[in-house]
Amino acid sequence: MKTIASELFKEFREHSVSEFFRRNAAMLGYTGKIRSLTTVIHEGVTNSIDAAEESGVLPNIFVAIKRANDSPEHFKAVIEDNASGIPEEYIPDVFGKMLAGTKLHRHMQQRGQQGIGISGGVMFAQMTSGKPARVTTSVGNGEIVQAEVMIDVDKNEGKILDKEKSNGDWRGTRVELEVKDVTYIRSRYGPFNYLRMTAIANPHAQIGFVEPDGTLTVFERATDKVPERPKSMPIHPWGIMSDDLLVLAKHTKSRTIAGFLVAELSRVTKGKVEEIRKLSGVDMNKRPSGLTWEDAEKIVSTFKQIKFMAPPTEGLRQIGAADIESGMRQILKPEFVCASTRPPKVYRGGLPFIVEAGVAFGGSAGKSVEGEAEGEGAETGGLDLIRFANRAPLIFDQGGCAITAAVRSIDWRRYGVDIATAPVTLFVNVVSAYVPYTSAGKQSIADEPEVFAEIRSAIMDVARELRHYLYRKIRTKEKQQRAGIFEQYLPVIARKAAHLAGTEVPDVGKLIEKVAGVKVGGGKETPEEG
Amino acid sequence: MVGEKKRQKKAEKSLMTFGAEVIKDISEVRPPRLKVPSRSTSNIFYDEKNRYFVLGNKYGIRSAANIKQVKKIAQTICVADFCKELIETNKFATLREMYYTAEGWDSGPFSDQGESDVVLEDLEAMFGVKREDLGLVPEEDGAAVYGELVVKEDNAVIDATKAGRGGYTIPPTIDDVELLKCKAKRVIAIETMGMYHRFVQERAWKTFDALVVGLKGQAARATRRFLKRVHDEFGMPVYLFADGDPFGFHIGMVIISGSAKLAYINHELAVPDAKYIGVTASDIINYKLPTDKLRELDIARLKQLQKDPRYNTEFWQGEIKRMLELGKKAEQQAFAKYGLPYVVKEYLPAKLKEAEGKEFIGLK
Repeated sequence: MKTIASELFKEFREHSVSEFFRRNAAMLGYTGKIRSLTTVIHEGVTNSIDAAEESGVLPNIFVAIKRANDSPEHFKAVIEDNASGIPEEYIPDVFGKMLAGTKLHRHMQQRGQQGIGISGGVMFAQMTSGKPARVTTSVGNGEIVQAEVMIDVDKNEGKILDKEKSNGDWRGTRVELEVKDVTYIRSRYGPFNYLRMTAIANPHAQIGFVEPDGTLTVFERATDKVPERPKSMPIHPWGIMSDDLLVLAKHTKSRTIAGFLVAELSRVTKGKVEEIRKLSGVDMNKRPSGLTWEDAEKIVSTFKQIKFMAPPTEGLRQIGAADIESGMRQILKPEFVCASTRPPKVYRGGLPFIVEAGVAFGGSAGKSVEGEAEGEGAETGGLDLIRFANRAPLIFDQGGCAITAAVRSIDWRRYGVDIATAPVTLFVNVVSAYVPYTSAGKQSIADEPEVFAEIRSAIMDVARELRHYLYRKIRTKEKQQRAGIFEQYLPVIARKAAHLAGTEVPDVGKLIEKVAGVKVGGGKETPEEG
Repeated sequence: MVGEKKRQKKAEKSLMTFGAEVIKDISEVRPPRLKVPSRSTSNIFYDEKNRYFVLGNKYGIRSAANIKQVKKIAQTICVADFCKELIETNKFATLREMYYTAEGWDSGPFSDQGESDVVLEDLEAMFGVKREDLGLVPEEDGAAVYGELVVKEDNAVIDATKAGRGGYTIPPTIDDVELLKCKAKRVIAIETMGMYHRFVQERAWKTFDALVVGLKGQAARATRRFLKRVHDEFGMPVYLFADGDPFGFHIGMVIISGSAKLAYINHELAVPDAKYIGVTASDIINYKLPTDKLRELDIARLKQLQKDPRYNTEFWQGEIKRMLELGKKAEQQAFAKYGLPYVVKEYLPAKLKEAEGKEFIGLK
């Protein structure tokens, strides 16, 4: 069977997947010693959560990062789930074939969208440590398969090096990857924060994590409801990128590019194909397999100039305010939490999206000092923004992100928040099948005016609630301070007056109770009662 | 001394009544309230009949139910209790000592002495008693007295002619001093100590049967109380002799009519019958005294005095006007132009004759 990827790579004029991988390392998230490790974990965990949801079970994810030896940059990463398991014959494809995932041609709102998935992790492990991936999986039939998988870089195929079967009552998949040239630290960009953010955005998942020093952290599940899976639907031309179009072209059963565009994309009619032809100059009667990278780029840029019917808004799968609150409450143990899910909106004239925001105050909310343990009395250093797209944490490229810009555009003092010191975690999730990423790295949201405005509104929704909470809190504190003043001075008055008059000290409790509730008049006189 | 004890007893009784009222309020679950006479300028009036400043009937209410006032009430009661202790143990304390004592009170320390002083003034105004009656005295001593007066301080009997050249020093606790015997017939209070010593050296106290009092500038409370007592207890006229400038005028006037600041207590301090004899603007002219030019400050002050109700007499209005026209002022010591004894031998007899209508020359 001819693979799509092998043809695709011809288009890139590359000779091997390893070369492709190296060339596109940044786009794929394998850049930098901390980020590479986070990406390996991300690919594994994303696969695991998706698989669990697809099989209708609540995800139980276990992640461990262990030292492989004494080298400070050599680790073993383990990701285990309780999903449906992988049938033996699919193991080579799932782990050993790049760009062959099941996701791309079923375009939907999904976490990853890298189209490379766990096979990228296998590739990275293989390139850095030279070691195969160890996969343990069972579909729950009493048979557990253990296999060592490598990628044949010339053929872009998975190769099983060693396979063992045993009996056991277990279902799920465990992947073990040995990676080199990476660093583990508990920074914003490291796996710990990634998993913590994932846990907040996926309150139905339980995630256990063992760090290299043996510390076990369990991010407990906050809800028992498996979220609805997003619907698979044809991709809208406004939301497609050149590489997506190429992959789709390799996959289609249509005989011409014209037929392919109508069949595989949403809202593309024969009339529109004619417009595309005129504007792009691409021969619409070519076979789709003959589509070149340059053709794809031309067509995609033409799409932007043409008016299409907007895609349907159905199928957007937000987390929902209640679950965001549960997730934040569970992980951050805050004093106050509030979330808001905005109604669907469109940008670029028709691409639907939803913005959700949540805010948590107190507890372990707020930026923790770099490298410090979270939660346990760690100092907090002001507002911590956590960004998500379709529940997937956006960790890098924060500076260029529309979410960051929206946060900065708000005058937080008006909400009673000093962003430099307040223990506040701000959660923003942009939901769309067409998330407008700034770049192929897919770590930040582009500044689309409608998206920016909606992010801003969502943040202001929750900031208002936070302001009310903080105001109430100050009021309560003031009331306590007030009562404290009466409790301090009224007994002194009673005692000294009794001494003056030469009488017994009267009970002052009732008077304290009475006046501590009396509203303070700013003026001179308090009317006498009774 | 007996009279003094009575004053203190009265003060103590006021404090006890105050305590009892507060206790009654607390027992009946009612926030205690303090009625404190207002000492703001809008509540200070010149009493034409008594000829001194008095407080009007405005007052502020402080309630223990008011968060901003409850501490002040606690402090006031603590001060009252402190005063009662002083009276009971027959001791005196200075305001500064009270301020430091308050460090240990349950109402907490005062932020500065000004704050504790005001609380004491509240009590004085509330009960119409002087701080001296509450056991509190100012830091500084009063003036010096020379003349034929015998006083008893505790067990010491002091003759003011046998207390050295400096004379008898009026203590802050003057109300505690018994005035035993007085052969003098009049009091002459003098602004500067230089002139006081001139009077003592020239034996003016003897020549004029006078108690000579050296004020050391603006008269202290104790001095004013002393002048009031000798005036009331021995029926002696009080004469005031100060520099011939607006500040000298006012040193005299504060003794006569009291200050606005102490309006709540002037009935204990003012000597409305006291007479200002000089130096006047007319003296400057009549005696051709050496002068200084009035400074701007002097002119402004004179103009203020012109409008002050205490100066609303023919004598004062005339003298102020004259000094303004003259544009000159003169010190007491200016009489030295005619030789040191001149002031005692010539000037004073003339002035006393004017006041009492009899001849003083040759009396020595």
